[in-house]
Amino acid sequence: MITPMPRVQLPSSVTKGEIFQVKALISHRMETGLRHDDEGNVIPRKIIHKFVCRYNGIDVFVADLHEAIAANPYLEFYLRATESGQLEFVWQEDGGGVYSLAHQLVVA
Amino acid sequence: MATETLATGLTRRMLFLAIAAGFASAAVVSPANASDDGEDAVTLIERLTGKTPTESDRLHLVMPRTFPNGYTVPLGVDIDSPMTENDHVRYVRVVAPRNPLIEVATFHFIPQHSQPRVLTRIRLAKPQYVLAFAEQNDGTLLMTKTWVEVATDGCA
Repeated sequence: MITPMPRVQLPSSVTKGEIFQVKALISHRMETGLRHDDEGNVIPRKIIHKFVCRYNGIDVFVADLHEAIAANPYLEFYLRATESGQLEFVWQEDGGGVYSLAHQLVVA
Repeated sequence: MATETLATGLTRRMLFLAIAAGFASAAVVSPANASDDGEDAVTLIERLTGKTPTESDRLHLVMPRTFPNGYTVPLGVDIDSPMTENDHVRYVRVVAPRNPLIEVATFHFIPQHSQPRVLTRIRLAKPQYVLAFAEQNDGTLLMTKTWVEVATDGCA
């Protein structure tokens, strides 16, 4: 299994109070548990079921994802720039896998 | 696994009886999540949440009317809301009633920190009305739906 690679895109600088866009992507098959292999066995479900964006410790955006989310889940969302600090992006996988990225945000 | 076989057995017997009785539409007996084809959007949301939603044009579900493949259909959802402590959206939940597993996603927002606006990509098994409903801080539910005609089964 290829290790899921997370990626995030956001502006390099933001002004206080402005709304900024965040794009988050992780490479992942999002196996639904509905498919079968060549022998007819069910390929077990394994998806990223939760995405959390934490801004200075507050969960500002949370997504519960299910099987109907496409492979390589893409999420584009919008946050308000409150203060400088850390943005943490966490993807939680069935079975306990966790993938994360952290980013220092400078708010002018 | 035993329960699964039983349920399927019952389904086939029920289907057979329904057809034998001469009913034109065979009701598909579904596991917990899948939706009966005849059930309408409001009834489905009532079943999922226990509350009655109101159709609202403040909630926008933006999807292509037709799309060549069901594996990665773009979806955009956003709501007109001031997102203040007294007037905000708690979450938006999306379901695809004609998918084998109807839940798509639930997006949670925080007033003053996140906008109730998300773009993503989803899988659709067949042409259908995709449903979105949003819960506001006072507990009321807004809903909207949009028809998407996909050319291939993205869930297979």
